[in-house]
Amino acid sequence: MDIRTQMSQHTFRRLLALPQPLRLRTFSILNRPPPNYPGHVPLTLVERGALALGSAFGSLRNPHRHDLIAALGEATAKPYFIARLRAAMLANPTGRRILRDKPRITSQTMSLEKLRQLPENTVGRAYAAWLDREGVTPDTRDQVRYIDDPEEAYVMQRYRETHDFTHAITGLPVIIEGELAVKAFEFANTLLPMTALSLVAVVRLKAVERKRFFETYLPWAVGNGLKAEEVINVYWEEELETDVEVLRARLGIEIPPDLRETRKLLRDKNKAERAARDAKDRLGAGMGL
Amino acid sequence: MASTALLRRLLTLPPLLRRSVYSSAATHNGASQPDTYDVVCIGGGPVGLSFVSALRSHPSTSALRVALIDSQDLSTARTTKDTETYSNRCSSLTPASLRFLKQIGAWEHAKRERAQPYHAMDVWDGVSGSKIHFDSVDQQQTGLLDAVAEMIPGSRSQASRRKYEVEDVGVATMCENANTTSALLQRLHELDEERSKDRLIFDMLEKTRVESIDLGPESKGEESLDLSQWPIVTTSHGRIAARLLVGADGANSPVRQFADIPSPGWDYNQHGVVATLDLDQQITAQNLRTAYQRFLPTGPVALLPLPGNKASLVWSTTPQHAAKLKTLSRPDFTAAVNAAFRLMPFDISYMLSPNSTTSPTDELTWRESATPAASTGVPRNFPRITSVQEGSIASFPLRMRHADTYTGHRIALIGDAAHTIHPLAGQGLNLGLADAESLAQRIAYGVDHGMDVGSCWTLDGYNSDRWAKNNAVIGVVDKLSKIYGFGSGPVVWGRSAGVEVLERLGTLKGWMMGAAAGVK
Repeated sequence: MDIRTQMSQHTFRRLLALPQPLRLRTFSILNRPPPNYPGHVPLTLVERGALALGSAFGSLRNPHRHDLIAALGEATAKPYFIARLRAAMLANPTGRRILRDKPRITSQTMSLEKLRQLPENTVGRAYAAWLDREGVTPDTRDQVRYIDDPEEAYVMQRYRETHDFTHAITGLPVIIEGELAVKAFEFANTLLPMTALSLVAVVRLKAVERKRFFETYLPWAVGNGLKAEEVINVYWEEELETDVEVLRARLGIEIPPDLRETRKLLRDKNKAERAARDAKDRLGAGMGL
Repeated sequence: MASTALLRRLLTLPPLLRRSVYSSAATHNGASQPDTYDVVCIGGGPVGLSFVSALRSHPSTSALRVALIDSQDLSTARTTKDTETYSNRCSSLTPASLRFLKQIGAWEHAKRERAQPYHAMDVWDGVSGSKIHFDSVDQQQTGLLDAVAEMIPGSRSQASRRKYEVEDVGVATMCENANTTSALLQRLHELDEERSKDRLIFDMLEKTRVESIDLGPESKGEESLDLSQWPIVTTSHGRIAARLLVGADGANSPVRQFADIPSPGWDYNQHGVVATLDLDQQITAQNLRTAYQRFLPTGPVALLPLPGNKASLVWSTTPQHAAKLKTLSRPDFTAAVNAAFRLMPFDISYMLSPNSTTSPTDELTWRESATPAASTGVPRNFPRITSVQEGSIASFPLRMRHADTYTGHRIALIGDAAHTIHPLAGQGLNLGLADAESLAQRIAYGVDHGMDVGSCWTLDGYNSDRWAKNNAVIGVVDKLSKIYGFGSGPVVWGRSAGVEVLERLGTLKGWMMGAAAGVK
């Protein structure tokens, strides 16, 4: 009978041995496998879960921590979402060319002086103008570290580097409201979970901003994101001299109301109202009412 | 009065004399009386030939008058002597089929150097990569009882088992259809020569087209035969009356149409692309070969070994992909086949889509560097395909049909006339050979017990023996092809989990292999 219990235990243990993608620990943290590309950090499932939770709460408390947002994106992209995005790129001829050439967007490859000299309504000029307006440079993007497959890591990197282009052609600013609108658009367009999780930051908006977001910008984002072509498949380096309207029409994106203008108008209106009220009070006080 | 008495006396004569009297009686009544045979088999493919060989080899049925009708020239069905080229029409013969071919004495005439037994099978999922490995070791079930028996001192259970077990043929044997057919034809000629004095008993009517099949005319009186319930086959060479008409005439069987037997089923919207390939791999000393099959969402692709460094490809895919594959140049086709086993499914679909701009060879070089082998599940010893044999690329549409019944009054169906199946399990010809064996056995039983071989007394046994088993195999293969047609979603997860569990249960795997091998 000992043979039988031994055999059944052996079979039982073999049955419970899960396939690799589902195992909690595919390697020991004392013996990490070598990196697949420079900067790669292989993580176990537990480590990835902890990274996702920590970066989610950290970026909610401080939305300016772009490195936590980047880490959240990488921790939640596997196994399905980044693979789906890569398959979407490979299904498109332009996307395939991007994956073959693997272009990178940095301040060296994107010379801002040249972009500023392009004609008025081109994509490159709009991009340079947006960068100047918001005061950011293309170098503020973090390197991808936690995605194991080198090609999927490049897809994530490309998504991050072209995020600014999405801002440029939609005209949305870098403030939280604008970022949330762009993230909502990107979720509908790329289906990366980090973009959906970032929308939790809606709780940090003021009441007026929240109302504006749900009434105008969220419907715009979802509608356009679903309707438009995949923005990740745009070969931006080749589209720098295209007219912005033409590109928007080709992708199927409508421009939303200018957020900075709206806020400025509202701010001016509030200031005027407050000044009028103050004047009336002072006047009333003077008249003894 | 006197004529019926004469007829009755004639009927009691031994078969030889009976027939010679019949023939002379027939010529007396004029040429309109059809030539009567006990069994007429329409169709000279491997299934029809094996059926007729089985009848001729069995002592009970060797005296029946048999005719085989085929529209092709059967004497030219010989394989080439060239060992460098293999036909693209190959079949995988299970151990049960081989046993049948050996029993009827045909396998010894086959060119053994052109047949390749294989001992293992690697099957893996193209989407999730989960794999299952079948080995002939799994079939040797060493359970608890055997372990206990071995422990008894002086026990010879293993030694006695080895003495009675079938010789090891591995999982199955790949054999060209032309090789099988020529072996069967040689056996039939050999049997003919043995019984040369009974030349009337077996007629091979090759190059004979069947023009129509009807029931015989009403009998004109008591003297003439009543053939109104007999099928009469009108050929380009005359008319033949069959006591039992066997249809081995392929998927669009005229015999089945004559018998009004419906054959429901559906088309798979897939074409099977076949080719003969050259491989680059190390051949082990014992010539242990493996068959490989990968299930892609568009259909399974299989690589089946042939002698030397060659293999047969069977790739079931969409009609558009099949059309594109047939237009590719030979290096591009080779790259596409390598891609089918090594790349992700969306890469393969892109390579074969009409809007792909780069050649398959370039695509393969680039994509293979970006696709780690662990993610696709390709086995470690999977060979690289180096080239494809000139002129061996062909395709055929895939369909599933199963006749509602295999028998009617004086009608029986065997082989593709009775059922067509998806090639993913390599069972099509094996089911047909099992049909032929079963029907021959039932006819022998009928002759031994004095039955009319065309009546339901003989034929119902064949139907009840084969129909349910074939239905089960056809059903399982059909469901497998549907389950593996999903490219994403919960079905992928479910089937991968099932495959992973099955891979770890050696006993269940052994049972599955036994069922697929058809060993009784």
